Amino acid sequence: MRELELYYGPQHLGMVGNFSITLGVEGDRIVKATSNPGFLHRGFEKLMEQRTWIQNFPLVCRINVVEPDHMELMYAMAVEKLAGIEVPERAQYIRSIYLELARVSSHLFGLWAYANMLGFDTVANWAMYHRDLVLDLFEELTGGRAYHIYIWPGGVRRDFPEGFKDKIVNTLHTIGSCVPDYDDTFFNNRVFEKRAKGIGKLTQKEAVEMGAVGQVLRATGMKRDIRKQEPYAAYDQVEFNVPTREDGDAYSRIWVVRDEMIESVHMIFKLLDQMPEGVAYNKVPNPFKWKIPKNEAYVRCESSRGELGLYLVSNDTDKPYRAHYRTPSFNHGLTILEKALVNESVSDVGNIMISLYITAPEIDR
Amino acid sequence: MNHLRQILKDNLLSSFEDIKINIAEENRIIIECRKESIITVLSHLKSDGFNHLSLISCVDWINENTFELVYILTAYTEDPEKGGLNLLVKTKVVRDKPTLYTVINVFSNAEPFERELHELYGIHFSGHPRLTPLLLERSYEIPPFRKDFDTRQYVEDFFKQIPTIEEKKRTNERT
Repeated sequence: MRELELYYGPQHLGMVGNFSITLGVEGDRIVKATSNPGFLHRGFEKLMEQRTWIQNFPLVCRINVVEPDHMELMYAMAVEKLAGIEVPERAQYIRSIYLELARVSSHLFGLWAYANMLGFDTVANWAMYHRDLVLDLFEELTGGRAYHIYIWPGGVRRDFPEGFKDKIVNTLHTIGSCVPDYDDTFFNNRVFEKRAKGIGKLTQKEAVEMGAVGQVLRATGMKRDIRKQEPYAAYDQVEFNVPTREDGDAYSRIWVVRDEMIESVHMIFKLLDQMPEGVAYNKVPNPFKWKIPKNEAYVRCESSRGELGLYLVSNDTDKPYRAHYRTPSFNHGLTILEKALVNESVSDVGNIMISLYITAPEIDR
Repeated sequence: MNHLRQILKDNLLSSFEDIKINIAEENRIIIECRKESIITVLSHLKSDGFNHLSLISCVDWINENTFELVYILTAYTEDPEKGGLNLLVKTKVVRDKPTLYTVINVFSNAEPFERELHELYGIHFSGHPRLTPLLLERSYEIPPFRKDFDTRQYVEDFFKQIPTIEEKKRTNERT
């Protein structure tokens, strides 16, 4: 059969985000796939070199639209390491709670994209509504819905307002009470099972070989989580499970996401119970005269997509000398996607791409 | 963790000659080597269990006329002791004509990282199968992430040539 070239995205209906794939197809079967990123390249890392340490906060949260909070955390942690700033214990707990809420909101957004793409519009609308409830919490806490600029070197910008703990509990109970509905209509649905089972399959060996992290790796059976390996914030103070699956296909990846969301909710309840009293931030030096001596730091965390890292270099000036984000989608979108798409059907391109949890802004930066 | 770091250090020092090892803090080990031996050092560390290449980064030290390449390695393991270690393997290349061997044969996920550095810093990775443009729209004589890249000059060169709406109107009226 004749091989044709098919441009999939950024205008294609099945594509989520500003990303494009060039497919070589024979009939309905893909023989070759090439990722084309760059539609969203804004040069954040270069911009960061031209702004002072504090001015960078409004910038870093805009790198990835879906999960700004982990980007903030990485930058704050790297600056703390370079400047030797301590974080009070209460702030560590607040950070953990806040990051888990961010994980829930990001997973619900991912669930929206996935369900929408498969044609489960009802589930997609539920997920969007529940994400909005979490965004309401963020709005009350930080003043912003999508971008928060809440995590700060030396703690967080402000303490929890009065009665905020109860609001978190109520919101999470509302979302949690709908889990059986989600299961009935989506996760245990035979239509979903038929579309997702065996699609975009990776063995554990392949996943390790190609540098997979996060759900993509955990869906192949490996229990690797930065929150356990190199605990940051208050993750060493709390017990939690790392959900895994064995099959490594799109179906198991989405199930890992579902289990992770439920685990996050349980973790937030535990953290709220254990949260100590105290101050929520330590004072930082005057931001207008803040110079950091020559040094370097590499920090990493488990974002909702997998291992996120930041390599930050200072050079005795008031600005970073070099910043480089290690984002999970970079490898997932450019190495794994190209291999996972081969021998699949054209109708499953969006399916595989969203199940790999690829977001274009993370690749381009 | 102390024990593990010491074993790693001794092991590396006995295997390689021109190598400097610095334990910067509890979970960060800095290994400096020559650019010729980068592949052997990385494959040695990979067989030691540090089989995940997290990042390849580059710092432009313009005053010393060098690019410093940083390969960050971690381990795929459920063991928290080993999994918490970050190895930063560093090597230096001259800024004028930077060339290096690719490490794709050791870590296959190095491919996009090297493509990115090729585009943003102009470093040539010999043996790389496709050093094609990745993120940028157009190429420029100085790659954009180098410290001597002049943002204003770039804007002058590219965007001042595009006529404004008023200028377009004027030329349309004349014709």
